[in-house]
Amino acid sequence: MMNIPCPFCGPRNEAEFAFGGPVKPDRPDPNMVSEEEWAAYLTQVPNPLGPVQERWWHVKGCGTWLTIWRDTRTHDIVVRPADAS
Amino acid sequence: MPYDVTIDRLPIFSLFDLKGPTDDLANWAADLPDFPQVANTRTQGNGVDLCFIGPNRWLLCADIKSEDTLITALRPAEAPPEISIVRVSDTLAFFRITGPDAAQVMSIGCPLDLHQNAFGTDAVSYTEFFGLKALVMRCDGGFDCAVEQSFGNMIADYLSRAMA
Ligand SMILES: [Zn+2]
Repeated sequence: MMNIPCPFCGPRNEAEFAFGGPVKPDRPDPNMVSEEEWAAYLTQVPNPLGPVQERWWHVKGCGTWLTIWRDTRTHDIVVRPADAS
Repeated sequence: MPYDVTIDRLPIFSLFDLKGPTDDLANWAADLPDFPQVANTRTQGNGVDLCFIGPNRWLLCADIKSEDTLITALRPAEAPPEISIVRVSDTLAFFRITGPDAAQVMSIGCPLDLHQNAFGTDAVSYTEFFGLKALVMRCDGGFDCAVEQSFGNMIADYLSRAMA
């Protein structure tokens, strides 16, 4: 189980959160990138072996959305939300 | 060995969901206790509990007998656009778990650290209880716990099984 730092509530059990998926890169202008780059943007989900930036929703708690960096090898939260205590 | 606890299903409370900046709410709703400043705490006064349950979000709890008075005081339908006041009295089912083993029974269904130093007398928080979103706070000799009304009978059943 992860202990996820919520900016409002402080550290809380992972069970109180819903996973919001990895943070995707900004949407490129489809006219300014190659077809390969556009297809990659549409179809590829960040899935690194190591730190990945993710969104989590404190749905059973205060309702805040937050962003963390989680290491997929260890589940360590390597970067906490900027405003979390 | 059975737990030494008493579980009561509490009668309905008068509940209002308040959203918006503290100052705007405090100006609009006179006679409320001071708004709590610390996240997941509550203040009490005039027969009203104000629970700070999320960013710019409070839950007002009072005896159901105060409902008409509160509606007159809060004027939900006339609230200005910066704030929102919604009566939610019929949305939560409350349980009171008291006795020497109250914390033990809570720990079966709730991941929060409910020790006095981590979850004090004025603490209140939404969390998880037997897999459901639930509001948990301290009461004299134990804890009050509220889940969505439609899950009330289910949680009553879970609690009776947990105590067996
Ligand atoms: Zn939270």
